[in-house]
This record gives sequence, C-alpha cells and structure tokens, in this order.
Amino acid sequence: MKNGKFDVVLDYMPATQGRLEVLFRQAGDGFLQVEYGREQRALLQDSFRMLAINDRIAAKNFNGLIETVPGIRTNLLHFDPGKVTVAKLIDMVKEAEDSMQTVDDVVLESRIINLPIAFEDSETKKAVEKYAKEVRSDAPNIINGYNLEYIALCNGLTVKEVKEMFLSTEWFNSGGGFWPGGAFLWAMDPRCALVVPKYNPPRTWTPEGAVGIGGPCVFTYTTPTGGGYQLFGRTIPVFQFACKHPMFKDGPFLYRNADRVKFHEATEKEVVEIYKHVHEKTDYEYNIEKGVIKAKDYIEWFDSEKIQAGIKLLKEKQEKGIKAAPRL
Amino acid sequence: MLKVINGGIETLVEDWPGRLGYLSKGMSASGAMDNVSLGLANILVGNKPGEAGIEITGGFFEAEFTEDHVIAVSGTDMQPKLNDISIPLFESIQVNSGDKIQFSHIGKVGFRSYLAVAGGIDVPVYLGSKSTCVFGSYGGFEGRVLKAGDEVKIGEFSVDSDKVVGNKIKPDVVPEYQNEIVLRAMPGPNTSPDYVTEEGMELLFSRTSKIQHTSNRSAYRMEELPDSFYARSDGGVGGSHPSNIVDHAYAIRGTLNICGNTPILLIADGPTLGGYICPIHVINADLWKVGQGAPGRDYFKFELVTQEEAVSARHTQNDILSDRSLL
Repeated sequence: MKNGKFDVVLDYMPATQGRLEVLFRQAGDGFLQVEYGREQRALLQDSFRMLAINDRIAAKNFNGLIETVPGIRTNLLHFDPGKVTVAKLIDMVKEAEDSMQTVDDVVLESRIINLPIAFEDSETKKAVEKYAKEVRSDAPNIINGYNLEYIALCNGLTVKEVKEMFLSTEWFNSGGGFWPGGAFLWAMDPRCALVVPKYNPPRTWTPEGAVGIGGPCVFTYTTPTGGGYQLFGRTIPVFQFACKHPMFKDGPFLYRNADRVKFHEATEKEVVEIYKHVHEKTDYEYNIEKGVIKAKDYIEWFDSEKIQAGIKLLKEKQEKGIKAAPRL
Repeated sequence: MLKVINGGIETLVEDWPGRLGYLSKGMSASGAMDNVSLGLANILVGNKPGEAGIEITGGFFEAEFTEDHVIAVSGTDMQPKLNDISIPLFESIQVNSGDKIQFSHIGKVGFRSYLAVAGGIDVPVYLGSKSTCVFGSYGGFEGRVLKAGDEVKIGEFSVDSDKVVGNKIKPDVVPEYQNEIVLRAMPGPNTSPDYVTEEGMELLFSRTSKIQHTSNRSAYRMEELPDSFYARSDGGVGGSHPSNIVDHAYAIRGTLNICGNTPILLIADGPTLGGYICPIHVINADLWKVGQGAPGRDYFKFELVTQEEAVSARHTQNDILSDRSLL
C-alpha cells in the first residue's frame, strides 16, 4: 500500500515481541536503508540487535552486496543492482531477521579495547588555546583554558565526578563513520551517560588521539583534523594510515562495530611514549579482550530499580546543569 | 613519467569506481567526478575504463612527459596544447619525451578535463583504489593535489602504441555539457509523508537551483528551500531543526542531504554519516554530470526516475564505456 507519490517504504516487517517494526526504505539505485521502528530514538538495545543481525548478513557473503553501514537505528545496505535486485536483498534481510526471533538470541561479539587517557594533556590544551586565539576568544566552553569544567557544568557535576564516570563505564561503538577510522562511542552504563553541546563554531585543529564528547557520543580523533567535540584529554593511536604496526596489517583501522572501549588514567608521558611504539618501533601491544554482549542481560540490568534510580538522579543533575551552563 | 610544471586549480589522480567498501570506516569512495570522461579517455588509449587518470578541475594544469606515451584528453574543452599546438579532445595521440602539455581554463560549459595515459597512472593502490581523497589527505598522489615539481609515474603498457594512436570516440557518444544540468534522481530514504510535505518533494523535482560557490569534491551546495518544505516541526531526539535526524549513514555517492534549509549533494569525498535527512538520491549513471557543473555558474534540476530506469541507465553507461564507443 503506497502512502502518496513519494512513499519510499518498499516493504516492512511488523513488530514482534523480540523486535521493532522493520522498514525497508529506498535510498538510491544502489542503496537500501533498513530502519528499526518509526520513533527517532538512540538506544543501545536497538543497536545491539541491529549489529547482531548485521553480523549474520555479513556472514552470508551475499553476492552483489558491497557493504553495510550501521547507524544507531538504521542500517544502510550498499549494493550493485547489476548483480542483485532490491527484492532479493530485502528477502535476504528478512531471513536474517527471522533467524533471530527473541531477545535471548541477541548475543553480540564485542571486544573490550583498553586505552590509556591523559586528562587535560598539553597537546589537546594547545588545540583549545589555538581555538581561543584564532576562532572564538569569548568561547564559554573554555574555562581555565580547557573544556573539562564546561563538561562538568553542563551535567551538573564536578570535574572529579566527570572523570570518574568517564573512566568507570565502557564506551560502546555503534558503528563507524564520518571521519576515517572514527567510531561513535556510547556509555554502556546509563548512569555515566554524559551529554554536552558541541563547539560553536568548530575547531580548525585537533591532535591525533584527542578524546572528546559531543552530544552523548565520545570520539577518539584518529588523525589531526578540525572537530567540534569538547575535549577530555588524549589517548594513544587508534588508526594508522601506513598500516605498519601488526595491529593495522589488514587496514588502518583499530575499531570494529560493537567494540567497547574502556579508558584508564595515565600520565601524559606514558601516553606520548606509546606513540613512538605504535608508529615507529611498531612494537606496542594493544590490550584487547574478547567478549560478548547478551542483550537480555543488559536490558534486565538496565531496567533494574538501582540503575533506573541512577539514571533519574543523573538526568535531574543534567537538567539543572544545562540551564546553568552558558549557551554556545 | 609526467613532470608537473603547474598544478593548476585542482588537479588529482582519480580512478573509478573508487574506494568501495569503507563507508562504515568513515571513508567515502572518492573517484573521478566525471567517470564517463575518464572512462572514454582510458578506452582511447587502450586502458580499462576505470584506470586512474589525471582529473583537471578549472584548468591551468601543465606538465612535461619524460618518455614516449600515448595519451588522450577528454571532458570539457580547456584548449589543451602540446608544445603550443592545439590537440584534439576525445582522440588518442602520441607524445614524445620532452613534450609539454598545457591546459588553459574552462569555457562556457563543463568544469573538468581528464588526461589518460596508456598504462595508467602508477600510484599505490590504497584500500583497493588509486583515487585521491582530498578531504582526508590519502590515496592518489601523496593524498593531495598535484603541484609543480611532482613526478608522477606511468604504468607499464603492453599493447603496441600504433594500435591505439589515432583512436576517436564516435561523435554521438561524446558527452555534451550544459549550464542547466538535469540529474535523474530517485526519492528516498526521507521523503513525504514522514519528513517532507508532498509539495516539498514536488518543489525539489521542479525547481532549478544554482550551484553555490562553496561547492567542492565533498559536497555541491544548492539554493535554500522554504520552511514549508518540511512535514514536521523538529527532529525529535535527533535535534531541534526539522532537517535533523538521529545519525544515519549517508548513501554516497549521490544522496541529497538537507542541512538546515540548504540542499547539499554529497559526492566523491563526502561524509559517510551524519544527522540530516536525505530526501532524494542522484542515480549512479548521472553522477558524471555533477562533475561537469561549475559552482557559481551552472544550475541543477532533478528529474524523477524509477529504480528500473536507474538500472537501465547503468547498463547504457556500461555499454558506452567500452570499445564499442570507438570510431
């Protein structure tokens, strides 16, 4: 049933107990967007299931499918219409959807990548200084020469609390994009889900390894570039164009979909020293653990009284905080 | 080898279809802005149509050949000369060591010229492609535009030169460039009734819009749309503006992004993901026309087509980019 001349929903699957409604939207002659539900929302539960389905799709090595590009509630399928029809592609996705009936089935391979961070290091401080000097001298997000106090202000917290929350949760990669090797990292623990407005206007330079937050997402800068995320500090390389280090032998990227990043505090000296061992000596050993996310367990934990109370508490602080914080 | 004397306005090594398969890693396909011209130039010199060539935008590129080669120039007419003597477009010619090729600038139509050399441009294949991504500074020749003093290597050529010199493209296949460029497009993924009004969609497919000066290889910007374009008042969790959406992957190359009220066509080096709606998509077979649109001078108009028509247009283009186009 077509809803007007420009309706692009080619097909759909009704919602079930284990899953949201699935909409198949035309997105170009070589693109199909699979959308989950009709509500604009950003929930990790949606992402877990979508990435688990995405893994099943990838495992099929489907002829004519060039790649998939997951967002948080949509998955974009890029295909060669000379090799596969849209109808066949939709059938393939439906089959993958049907193979995952209940939330018990949603078990996602998810590595834990341990990364050191030096808070308020001199290199990212330079980026803030440069911004104040060349772009916006009256930037209200710069307090005492840095962004940490502004991050705290927006969330109704102290800098100490911000650091503790940042370090205590794992940060989940819902999918890469926007910048080479980049990953959008979301707080696994909703009690640590900091939210901060982005720079206005953006920076012209950010050093490699800078760690920032924009909206609800943490981003680790893969190469020197502009950017709009409020800065925490600096971590080690997560990308290498030259593909010299063994970690990057198959491509310049460290992150995979569904990875979790866990940060631990380190000194600036320790962090800077590792750059040499990644890019020059190529002998740094990344600390990566294998693991899985069981959606059912996560949702139970998320819905528990203790966690819900924690979310409520943070949201109250954030509401007050964002009112008190200067607008950018 | 090709020794660059003047890099011109923006001259790059590009191939086709570019770097496919890395959108989720934040890397767009890049590739030739006009793959038809690149393809025809390659066919003329006996290369595969997608082989890397030199993409000259705007003009003023100048270089010297340090060996004998067979070359072809295609795309818009920038009055190319070899040792100060005019050379024909869409025809393969012999050049000798020491010859200098010189491009002037664009005329009334078109924006890009292509130079193909038998054997192709020999730059490292990075993640499956020789294309340059200017925005990210990788691929192609050191990830950047060519400049004076660069020495660009040429690949080995196995065919006898005599067999390819003097090749011409059939006159009916040589592309014609226009100031009002009609781009065939399909609706999706964010259209009426959910995101845009039906009148808004009709407007997109009926109006003619000037290409803005701020356009580049990542994005071609067009004139603003009225607020009445939108079927909603905000983007919910995605943001306060009705053009906002919870971040989703962009179907590049070819999607039309609406950022605030500004339509932005995302192309070669464009962003792979973001938080704005995308109501229409320029079909793959018409991307080449975008590459011949000059910012600040030319206009785009969108023409509604179906998936079937888009697929058939791809087949037609594949037929054109073959030996069958040779006279």
